[in-house]
Amino acid sequence: MRAILAGIETEYGLHIDGRGASTQVEDSQALVRAYPDECFVGWDYRFENPRADLRGFNLEHLAFDPVDAKFDAGKSYGSSVEIRSDRILPNGARFYNDHGHPEYSTPECYGLHELARQDVFGQSVVLRAAQSYGHGAQLYKNNTDFHGASYGTHESYLVPRDIGYERLFHAVLPMLIARQILTGAGKVGSEAGAKAPYQLSQRADFFAEPANTETLYKRPIFNTRDEPHSDPTQWIRLHVISGDANMIANATARKVGLVKLAIALAENGQTPVWRIKDPVATFQHISRDLHFAFRVELEGSWTTAYEILESYFSAAEATLELDDELKWLISSSRFLLEIIQNHPFDARREIDWVAKKWMIESFMNEEGLQWDDPSLQAYDLEYHNIDPDHSLHQALVEMGEVGPNESSVLIRPTDTRAFARGLAIEKYSQYLLTASWSGLVLKVGADTHEIYLPPEGRYPVQLAHAEDVGSFIEMLRGVK
Amino acid sequence: MSDGDRLTRPLSPEPSRKLGDDKGPSSPDVRKPEGGNELLRRMKKVDPDQAKKYRQRSGQ
Repeated sequence: MRAILAGIETEYGLHIDGRGASTQVEDSQALVRAYPDECFVGWDYRFENPRADLRGFNLEHLAFDPVDAKFDAGKSYGSSVEIRSDRILPNGARFYNDHGHPEYSTPECYGLHELARQDVFGQSVVLRAAQSYGHGAQLYKNNTDFHGASYGTHESYLVPRDIGYERLFHAVLPMLIARQILTGAGKVGSEAGAKAPYQLSQRADFFAEPANTETLYKRPIFNTRDEPHSDPTQWIRLHVISGDANMIANATARKVGLVKLAIALAENGQTPVWRIKDPVATFQHISRDLHFAFRVELEGSWTTAYEILESYFSAAEATLELDDELKWLISSSRFLLEIIQNHPFDARREIDWVAKKWMIESFMNEEGLQWDDPSLQAYDLEYHNIDPDHSLHQALVEMGEVGPNESSVLIRPTDTRAFARGLAIEKYSQYLLTASWSGLVLKVGADTHEIYLPPEGRYPVQLAHAEDVGSFIEMLRGVK
Repeated sequence: MSDGDRLTRPLSPEPSRKLGDDKGPSSPDVRKPEGGNELLRRMKKVDPDQAKKYRQRSGQ
């Protein structure tokens, strides 16, 4: 199957005692600007348009959370470039302030575990910025404040445009609904609808529609934003906003791998056919199903999330040439699904919602607490704290109850366009005017060189050994 | 196209499961781990009001 380029962007929660949502934009901006390590300032916004819709139209404007609008009344933050304060890192990643959340976008990767490592490295980037900023800033890699505000962990996948919206939607939607049983980060309580003591998904409460372009309000399960960050005649970027921020790196790898299976099956026309009666209600039902039956109502019949996932695995094995990572994905996912149905807590090494639930129930048993105890959300929150001295996820790792994440050192991908972007930051920043996902602009003498970085280009290792900026540019122009 | 509908079932009551009950999550197979006291020690350091104080702007 075609190797599918992917990336992950995570908006981190930010807490500073005595501050709050009304000052969060300024605080996040200052924190990003405090990042102390090597980086380049000069993001190129020319090719970004979040209002374009895959279904072939442009929205006049995006919806805005009315609560947030009150925080901004009468305020002037300055230009969007100033607010965002983009930093581009030598591994090709982007670190910036997005709606008051420090956001780390990984460099583009092909490998599932490589991408998960880049996602873990992002935690160390955000932590470095927080430590440099001071003010007692606490950063959380999660997706909710438990009071109705959510912020996202998004995935991006490079997909050929000729697949078309309809085919992609029907291939991916059932997977997005079902995969939460393997990839949900878990949440104490609920923020919409009927009360729930615990949920699999952090995000389920915040979906309003099966598909639309919105991300801040009235969010969809399947986001139709058409912002390809590459040649728009050839590619779309599938922008997935319904996933959770995972603390367990293998869960991150699995989250991405499952969507890649759905995309690959859409590409070869072998997608299992599932017509889910009410996608939003189903997503929310699965998230709240603590019997672990995970029933899915179809048009005229029913199935389960287990069977939906298995149908993708079977179709993939029957029709795709799978690499070792995707074979791992399928075999480990099947194993975990079996465990969930029999001894669910045995899956805690690999699944965040299980690890968190096990941790909290252990504490409840010890302390004689019930699920309606208001303190339990604090333990949920601290599971996601990225400071290892405070993180309960890290405590579980140290106890051997949760699988360890690989070390968070800066490694630049060598087989994607992030290689070229990262090299430009490290070696040629004095010539660099701007950088973006899709290109670089360098000025050498009186000449300005605008270079397109093809997303599926083969970037030669010799780029790292270019004699000078001229050779670097010449090599990049030869990338096909 | 493969036929995912082959895996569907006729409408029927919710399948029974041995896990959980209607009062909320159950505690299947909970065992105190090696070093369990260390987890409790770390959890007891958490400010129980931390989530109450935690307010964020909506993001994407």
